[in-house]
Amino acid sequence: MRAVMSRVAQSLLVVIVATTLNFALPHLAPGDPVEYLYQGSAGSLTAEQLDDLRAGYGLDASLPEQYVAYWGGLFRGDLGVSVQHNRPVVDVLLERLPWTLLLVGTSTVIAAIVGTLAGAFAAWRRGSRGDVGLVTGVLVVDAMPGFWIGMVLVAVFAVQLGWFPSFGAAALGGPTAGWAAVAAVAHRLVLPMTTLVLATVGGTFLLARGAMSTTLGETWLAMARAKGVPPRRLATHHALRNALLPVATTLGLNVAVMLSGAVVIETVFAYPGLGSLVYDATIARDYPLLRGAFLLVTLGVVATNALVELAYPLLDPRVRRTGRGRS
Amino acid sequence: MRPTRRCPRAGRLVPMVLAVATALVASGCSTSGQQPDDEPTASTTVVAPADSSAPPTSPSEPGPTTTTSPGTSERLVVAFPSDEGPLNLFAQHEEALTELVYDKLLAPSPYVDQPQPWLASSVEQLDPVTWEARLRDDVTWHDGEPFTAADVAFTVDLFKRSPSGRWTHHVTDTPRIDEVEVVDDTTVRFHCGYPCPFLGTVTLADLPMLPEHVWSDVEDPQAVVDLPVGTGPYRLTSYDATSGYVFEANGDHFAGAPMVDELVMPIIEDPATAFTALRTGEVDAVARLVPPELVEPFRADPDITVVDTSPLLFPELRLNFGRPPFDQPEFRAALSAAVDRQALLDTVWLGQGRSADQGYMHPDTPWAAPDLSTPTDPAAAERLLDGLDMVDDDGDGVREVDGAPVAFTIKVAANEPTWIRAAELLVEQFGAVGLEASVERLDPGAMGDLFSSRDFDSYVIGAPTHGVADPTQFVMSQESGYLWDLPEVPYPEMADLVEQWRASDTIEDRTDRLFEMERLLESAPTSIPLYYPNGPMAFRPGTWAGWVESPGYGLFHKWSLVPREAAVAANALVNPPE
Repeated sequence: MRAVMSRVAQSLLVVIVATTLNFALPHLAPGDPVEYLYQGSAGSLTAEQLDDLRAGYGLDASLPEQYVAYWGGLFRGDLGVSVQHNRPVVDVLLERLPWTLLLVGTSTVIAAIVGTLAGAFAAWRRGSRGDVGLVTGVLVVDAMPGFWIGMVLVAVFAVQLGWFPSFGAAALGGPTAGWAAVAAVAHRLVLPMTTLVLATVGGTFLLARGAMSTTLGETWLAMARAKGVPPRRLATHHALRNALLPVATTLGLNVAVMLSGAVVIETVFAYPGLGSLVYDATIARDYPLLRGAFLLVTLGVVATNALVELAYPLLDPRVRRTGRGRS
Repeated sequence: MRPTRRCPRAGRLVPMVLAVATALVASGCSTSGQQPDDEPTASTTVVAPADSSAPPTSPSEPGPTTTTSPGTSERLVVAFPSDEGPLNLFAQHEEALTELVYDKLLAPSPYVDQPQPWLASSVEQLDPVTWEARLRDDVTWHDGEPFTAADVAFTVDLFKRSPSGRWTHHVTDTPRIDEVEVVDDTTVRFHCGYPCPFLGTVTLADLPMLPEHVWSDVEDPQAVVDLPVGTGPYRLTSYDATSGYVFEANGDHFAGAPMVDELVMPIIEDPATAFTALRTGEVDAVARLVPPELVEPFRADPDITVVDTSPLLFPELRLNFGRPPFDQPEFRAALSAAVDRQALLDTVWLGQGRSADQGYMHPDTPWAAPDLSTPTDPAAAERLLDGLDMVDDDGDGVREVDGAPVAFTIKVAANEPTWIRAAELLVEQFGAVGLEASVERLDPGAMGDLFSSRDFDSYVIGAPTHGVADPTQFVMSQESGYLWDLPEVPYPEMADLVEQWRASDTIEDRTDRLFEMERLLESAPTSIPLYYPNGPMAFRPGTWAGWVESPGYGLFHKWSLVPREAAVAANALVNPPE
């Protein structure tokens, strides 16, 4: 219990520090959201009108005042109003969040499963043609930029074969409920998800292969083999389980990587996730939206890492015993 | 549409001239019409169709054979390049979309010199500071409420009160509408604070009308996120920032039911993605310019039609007139003379357009001084620089003044490759006359701050239609800091012309003053047009082939969609069907 409380306290501290940095960092870059959105390039508004607009978004106050107001808003669940979208930041984030969870969530899970299993298989058959083929293939795909993979998939499966739509998360004006809607969303998810998996699976594969190879070299595994443990059980119940630990450790960090990688892929597929939202908000210097999005990403990464850490005892009995000993 | 498109070919001028000429003849047939070439009079009727209850018809229309119908379509999917929110006129919005929902008293825009009646049945100038508009009596808002003179008065008042309206200064400054008097349900009078001969041709063709019963209780117009209620040919029935817009035809529209029943507009920001969707047939059209590299492949595709349109915009090099040496007119003139605009066009835009040597107002608008010409003249540039004692004393190829090299930066957005290429060429051209320029790439967000921070020597950016085709905006730009900053930064010659412009009380006089201001600007420009680009746009004619060009709007606008005879009557088409 103490370990859990300690972990929660650490996470809170990380969130507070990250939130402060997220508040301050966008202001270091030159630019102004009102200028970007309303001034255009024709000088349509006077300086006084621009000042009025800034005041409307609370951007006329000093940075410390804005910081205090930001924390006050956080405690009320108010993240402010997006300058770019002219709507509450919470609303803008919530309408994008499901699509990001769908794309990044499924991609993270699939990349983790495929990468781990393929890595474990390659390690188990280390030196074989299968291992060499897998490593070569993974390195080739890993060397390709994500947007390039996406463009190739679009060219082949959308343009040439016509199997999948080339853009969007849901058909505008299409079914909005029932299995037809689910099928339509799944259909549109295939290409961006495959792209994101291919763009990120390499790291997991190599990590799993390395961990599995190390585990397979352990003396206790030789002992198990000598005791007559069947090879399949040896691989799945002993070697793989131990090799999973470093993979699980990187899973939380991969969420952040996936989110950043999704920016480009969301752009290629016009997928309405948080990645493209953050990109657009950065260009437009939409400070309220940037803060909200960064907060959401921070919470996601911190929560994922906390969950992974809390899940260690389930994966590794030694951690469970150590924890029990501590408490 | 985004300001990355190009401008019309010279050949486009011919039909535009014909259209203008037709409109001139047409107005001459009306009871009290006045053309710019007429003798100035105190009373000026812009246009007045005989039967205000009928859909607008062109006075110049010789008969039904002048229009052709492209037929109807139940549903079209048009990729739109950006999320413009729920089309709140007081927040970020795009006029290609808001024009579907909202109407104006006159149509189609200030970018033609003969706007025609639309929500108004006639507009008449009673004296130099007073105009009267008679309204159609058959117009209803999308919610069924009648459109009345009270809505017009309310709209002007709301724009005056709003701190953020794109139209605010067009009712408070250029021109200044002091009062809108409701005479009766279908008659309003506009009382200006100083002579306003452009009110009919510019302002009333620019102001979209808003419903009083919807907006009267709104305290903060900028915060409105409800779907808009207009009188326009389309209702916005659905908006979702994650997917896009759905518009349904307004079957009760006074000009007749639009030709397309439903417009579905997914938001696709990436041009490559949008044009891939056009190629696969997932969308029927893309509301943005075709990139130069895709023009030929699309022209070769039998399922896709590419049309060269005439976007009224161009990239420009803005000079910081408040900072030495750009504060010297001779230096700005030297820079202008050193720019080889044809080379910029040929290299950056592959020759698809026109050399930008006809001034700041786009030459396809009626508001561009017809005699402007700025030929490339490096020798003249060198003479001007010599006259400023900017001389290469040490023989390194760079001129010095007071011992320091004449050097400056050209800032440009890092995500605009064509503008970067233009900036690199400018560095070479300025180098040829002994000036040391360098390109500084910035992220787009930082570019937006330059206008107010004034932290630049020069930068490349796109000049939008509103800035280069609207004559009142041109005047406003002399005061806003964009082209000049009167009265904060003295410029007596320009200030005098602006005052003369304000004092002029006829269209002819005011247009002459405008042309003089353009000539003065061009003699020592604070902003140098780089090239007038062409604007190819693409659609799939198999689903609907009715897209037609409207001045300043390209193909994708309401004038393609309303009954063709109404669009022709509104003088809204570059190439009216014959």
